[in-house]
Amino acid sequence: MLDPSYGWARSRCGLRTGGIGLWGPDIVEDRVRVVIAEDSVLLREGLTRLLTDRGHDVVAGVGDGEALIKTITELDAQGELPDVVVADVRMPPTHTDEGVRAAVQLRRAHPGLGVLVLSQYVEERYATELLAGSSRGVGYLLKDRVADVREFVDAVVRVAEGGTALDPEVVAQLLGRSRKQDVLAGLTPREREVLGLMAEGRTNSAVARQLVVSDGAVEKHVSNIFLKLGLSPSEGDHRRVLAVLTYLNS
Amino acid sequence: MATEYGQGYGLDSGSGFPGSTERRHRLPTALRAPVEGRTWRELAHVLLSLPVGILMFTYAVTMVSLGAGLLVTFLGIPVLAAALAGCRGFGALERTRARTLLGLEVGEPEPLRMTKPGAMAWMGAVLKSGVSWRALLYAVVQLPWAVFSFAVALHVWLLGWALLTYPLWFWALPMHAGPDGLQLYGDGTHRIYLDNPFEITVTALVGLLFTIAAPWLVRALTMVDRLLVHGLLGPSRLASRVVELESDRGVVVDTAAADLRRIERDLHDGAQARLVALAMDLGLAKEKLQEDPRAAARMVDEAHGEVKTALQELRDLARGIHPAVLTDRGLDAALSAVASRCTVPVRVEVDLAERPAPAIEGIAYFTVSELLQNISKHARATWAGVEVWRTEDRLMLQVVDNGVGGADVSGGSGLAGLVDRLDAVDGILVVDSPTGGPTRVTAELPWRGAHMR
Repeated sequence: MLDPSYGWARSRCGLRTGGIGLWGPDIVEDRVRVVIAEDSVLLREGLTRLLTDRGHDVVAGVGDGEALIKTITELDAQGELPDVVVADVRMPPTHTDEGVRAAVQLRRAHPGLGVLVLSQYVEERYATELLAGSSRGVGYLLKDRVADVREFVDAVVRVAEGGTALDPEVVAQLLGRSRKQDVLAGLTPREREVLGLMAEGRTNSAVARQLVVSDGAVEKHVSNIFLKLGLSPSEGDHRRVLAVLTYLNS
Repeated sequence: MATEYGQGYGLDSGSGFPGSTERRHRLPTALRAPVEGRTWRELAHVLLSLPVGILMFTYAVTMVSLGAGLLVTFLGIPVLAAALAGCRGFGALERTRARTLLGLEVGEPEPLRMTKPGAMAWMGAVLKSGVSWRALLYAVVQLPWAVFSFAVALHVWLLGWALLTYPLWFWALPMHAGPDGLQLYGDGTHRIYLDNPFEITVTALVGLLFTIAAPWLVRALTMVDRLLVHGLLGPSRLASRVVELESDRGVVVDTAAADLRRIERDLHDGAQARLVALAMDLGLAKEKLQEDPRAAARMVDEAHGEVKTALQELRDLARGIHPAVLTDRGLDAALSAVASRCTVPVRVEVDLAERPAPAIEGIAYFTVSELLQNISKHARATWAGVEVWRTEDRLMLQVVDNGVGGADVSGGSGLAGLVDRLDAVDGILVVDSPTGGPTRVTAELPWRGAHMR
C-alpha cells in the first residue's frame, strides 16, 4: 500500500536539495488573497501568521460555516472575491462537517473560488463530496500538514490557482478502498507511486521531480497507467485527477 | 425520583384516581361514596364484566376446544393460535377497561417476539408466548367471578336504592291498585305490610345502610378484578425486570458513547489543536532559522509554551478518563486528590476496610468528583465534607456543603446524569438541598468486593 506520508517526506528532500518551490516553476508564488474559517482562535491566528509571513493576504478570519458564506458573499458583492478559502471541517454549531458543507456550497456558487479544507482526520467520503463535479481549485488536507510550512503554503497557492491538493492519506484510502483492486494489482510499483502522486494533484513535472526521474519517463508511466485502467488520456491536470478519482471511486 | 422510596411499586390498590382522596368535601366520605363518579365507574365495570365475560368465555372455550379437537390434523395449530391471539386481543380490551373504569395502572405485557417474519413464525410466537396462555386463563376464570360479582352488586345496589326510596313510591303508587305496600311476611292467615310511618322510616333506614354499604362492596368486588387483570394480563415480574434492565443497559451504552464523544471532542479542541499550532510554530521557526535566527528563537519559545500547555491538557484529560491514583491507591487517595482541587476546603473521610470492585469504585469516584465540581461552580460554599462508608451490602457516599442550596435532580443538570449513572448499577442518589442550603447529597451503591478483579 501507498505510504501516506510518502509524498510529503519526499518533497522535503526535494526542497533541501533543489531549493525551488515544491510544485516547480509552473506555479509562481503570487500574493494570494485568503479567507480563513477555523473555530480555534489559536489555529486561526497561527494560519494567518503563517500565510502573511509568506507574503499572502489574509482578507478575513471567521469561526463558523455560516459566517464564512456570509463573508464570501459580501466580498463577492464588493467585487473582491478572495482567491482561496481555507476552512476547517469541524466548526460550530454542530461540530460535525460544517466546513465541508460550506465548501461544497461555495464551490457551487463561485466556481472560480479555490477551497482548501483542513481536518484532523481525512475521510475519503468528504473528499468525494468536495470533488463532485470538478477537481478544479479543491484541496483537502490533514491539519498536520501545516507543520511543513512551505508545502502547506504551496498547496494553498496551488488551490488558489485552480489546482488540486489531496492529502496522501485520502489518496491512500481511495486506492485501498477501490473495488478495482485486480486492475490496480496489474500496475508496477513505480506506476502505483505515479498514480498516487497524480491523484494528489501533482503535475507531471512535479511527479518527475519527486521520483527523481525525467519528465518523459513520467509521461510514459502516466500513459501506461491510463492504458491499464482503460481511461482515455485527458489533457490538463485537473481533469486527469478527476478521471483517476472517478475511476477509483466507481 | 430517587427520593420516593418504595413508591410506584406493585398494585396501586388505593385511590386509582389521583386527588380523589385529598379533596375536602362537606359530606363525610361514607355519604359521598354512593354518588361519587368513581363508584359509578366501578359499578359500570362490574355490570359490564358479565357480558364481556360471557363473550370471552364462549370464544375462548369454543375456539380452544375446536383447536384441540383439530390437533390431530394440521388445522389444529392455526385454530389454536387464532384462539390465543383472540384471547390476547380480549386481554388488551380488558386492560383498557380496567384502566378507564378502575383507574388501574397496568403495563402492557411483553410483545410477541418473532425471530423471522411469516405466518408460521407468528403462530409459533403466539403459541410459545406466556402472555397468550395467561390471557386464555383470564378469559376462562373471569366468567364465574363476573357472574358472582354481577349478581351481588346488582342486588345490593338495587335493594339499597329501592328501600331508600320506599317512602317515595309508597306515597306515589296508587293505593287501590295493589297491596298496601311491601309485604314483609305472609302465609295463609297472616300478612305483614310495611305501611305505617314507623315501618316506612325503618325500611328507608335499612335502604340507606345498603346504599352506603354498596360502594364498598362493589369496591371490594373490583379488587378481585384488579388482581386478575394485574396478575394475568399485566407484564410478568420477570418481563418487568427485563424491561428495567434493558433500559439500564441503554443508559450505560448511551453514557459510554457520550463519554467517548466528550473525550474525542476534548482531544480535538484541546491537545490536538494545540499540537497542530505547535507544529506550525516549529515549522515556521525551521524556515526562519537561517534568515532570521532571532525570530526563530522567539517562535521556538512560543512553541515551548504551547507544548507545556498541551501536556497540561493531556494530563487533565487522562485524569478525567480514569485517574491513575484511583487504580493504585483506591478511593481515599483519589478523593483526597479531587478534594484538593476543589475551590473550597473539603474534609474527606473514607471508612472502608477493603476496596470495592473497580467499576463501583469508579462510579463512586466520579459521583463525588462531579458533586465537588458542582460545589465549586454553583454552591458558593465555604466548606464541604465527603464521607464514604459501607453498610452491609451497600457503599454509601455523602457530600455535604454549607452553600446556597437549591440543587435539583430534575432537568438537564449534571445531577440528572448522575442519577442515570447510579441507576444503571442499581444505585440511588438522594438530594436534600433546600433553598438557602445546606446541601446534602447521599448516594448508595451496591457493594461488590474487589476480589473479582
